[in-house]
Amino acid sequence: MDRRDDLSSGAPRRVSVNERHAEYIEGRARLGSASLAEEGPSSDLNHARMSETSPFASDEAGFLAEFRQALKELVGVLRLGRQTLYYIMNGTREPGDIAEQMFAIGNRSMPFMVVTMAFIGAIIAYQTALQSSRLVPDLSMMGATFIKLLIRDLAASVGALPLATRVGAGIAAEIGSMVVTEQVDALRMSNADPVDYLVVPRFVASIIMGTVVLLIGGFVAFASGMFVANVAFDVNPHTFMNLSLITSGDLILGFLKCLTYGGAIALVSAQRGLSTFGGSEGVGRSTTEAVVGSCFSIIVLNLVISSIGYVVFPAL
Amino acid sequence: MIEVRDVHKSFVRPVLRGVSLRVPEGCIYALIGPGAAGKSVLLKLIAGLLKPEQGSILIKGEELGKKTDLELAKLREGMGMLFQNYALFQMSVADNIAFPLRRAKTHSEEEIRERVRERLERVALPGREDQDPATMSGGQKKRVGVARATVAKPPIVLYDEPTAGLDPVTSQKIYDLVREEQRREGATVMVISSDVSGVLSIADRVGMLHEGRLIFDGTADEARVSEEPAVKQFVHGLVDGPL
Repeated sequence: MDRRDDLSSGAPRRVSVNERHAEYIEGRARLGSASLAEEGPSSDLNHARMSETSPFASDEAGFLAEFRQALKELVGVLRLGRQTLYYIMNGTREPGDIAEQMFAIGNRSMPFMVVTMAFIGAIIAYQTALQSSRLVPDLSMMGATFIKLLIRDLAASVGALPLATRVGAGIAAEIGSMVVTEQVDALRMSNADPVDYLVVPRFVASIIMGTVVLLIGGFVAFASGMFVANVAFDVNPHTFMNLSLITSGDLILGFLKCLTYGGAIALVSAQRGLSTFGGSEGVGRSTTEAVVGSCFSIIVLNLVISSIGYVVFPAL
Repeated sequence: MIEVRDVHKSFVRPVLRGVSLRVPEGCIYALIGPGAAGKSVLLKLIAGLLKPEQGSILIKGEELGKKTDLELAKLREGMGMLFQNYALFQMSVADNIAFPLRRAKTHSEEEIRERVRERLERVALPGREDQDPATMSGGQKKRVGVARATVAKPPIVLYDEPTAGLDPVTSQKIYDLVREEQRREGATVMVISSDVSGVLSIADRVGMLHEGRLIFDGTADEARVSEEPAVKQFVHGLVDGPL
């Protein structure tokens, strides 16, 4: 059956990936992304026709469509990043808008992050000591290694994952709800660009408070690790608190990761929120995609920054 | 003032298929049609919130398709829009109405307060400055939306289903308000509505969209006596017909 006939009949049918992509384009078109909108339904119909030739062609077309969409998501995030930087320099700030977002992102995330990082620190310390003691009975350098690992990588990278679920979901749900209730269109009609009004305060707040929360989370993980090492493996806290392996490169790398993850969570989540379509179901979908995308971006950024870091600041 | 030339727009399926119309300056133009005819899409194209795939839209002779995002934002300063779902922000009534003026930075805070007070009186909601819109009825939210859309006295005002979900009395009050505002300010107004009898009572000209095409364009009286089957059926609410 010709695809167009199927569409015009209005009969119930399965919604394909290609149609979801077309709906996504509609969402992007609402953002004014003409370049995406212009690629429009005709190419999607072609893909839909390909998918009717054979199941293998369908899988291939579906994979290609997903891959193409993932690339467009990346381009969308980069474009949003560029617009955000533009409006940081040239935008109109409302009094208290960044402070309000700092409270939402920082203070409200703190209890969750403190508890999560306390457990993570305890688990890492316990497992490190347990496995090390099987090889070497001397745990005197356990604290030094644990602290180096926390500062250089784990405090930021492991802490950013729960932070992404808390902050990313909040940003995507809030902006997504505004999109489906036409508030984002109303902003545009009221001389307020959504990137300037919605994204910039969240981006700045997420960088600042994301870094603060991750640093505090790292300290909590250190404290809980020290406690577990002392209680379970009888490691003296003074021995545990060994900073001899820490270099300035570790500090720079850890701090850079905190800053980058905070910004990435805000950008990825805001981009998903602004691309929301399809009512409350769409808000749920965007929220899920924001969390997945934020976590994925953290892992990719960790790989990139760590790779550069191991060249610029080699680990001792 | 507003000119739409052979505009096409598709999402999953074609929504607009070569729509052309012209809204003269200072006119109330009612766009009617059954659900999913493309009315809201056309209004958002005119507001520059969407971009057409083909064709052009001119506002005061300036083509929207050739403008950058910043130029479009500048052009929108001369437009106000009431949204179907109210689209009121999570802030007080006064802050909602004052929002476009505060963003424009063209008025002092004292002038803005005075303008908000005057707008609230005009929409019969005096003294409601501090109220949360979430605690208001649908009709009251629409009136706040009208106040916000008109607070900057824009030369073009777009109303997307201003009476959707409202009772007949409230609907007529909203239409009367739209008419009075247009008379006072002389703005060019486009109203899209499925409430034919209400919107025809205020419209100078009427267009009807059906399956993405403009099948009628004329005065309200011409619409009432049109023999075009789809127009006749829709305007008179007949069960039998092509719709």
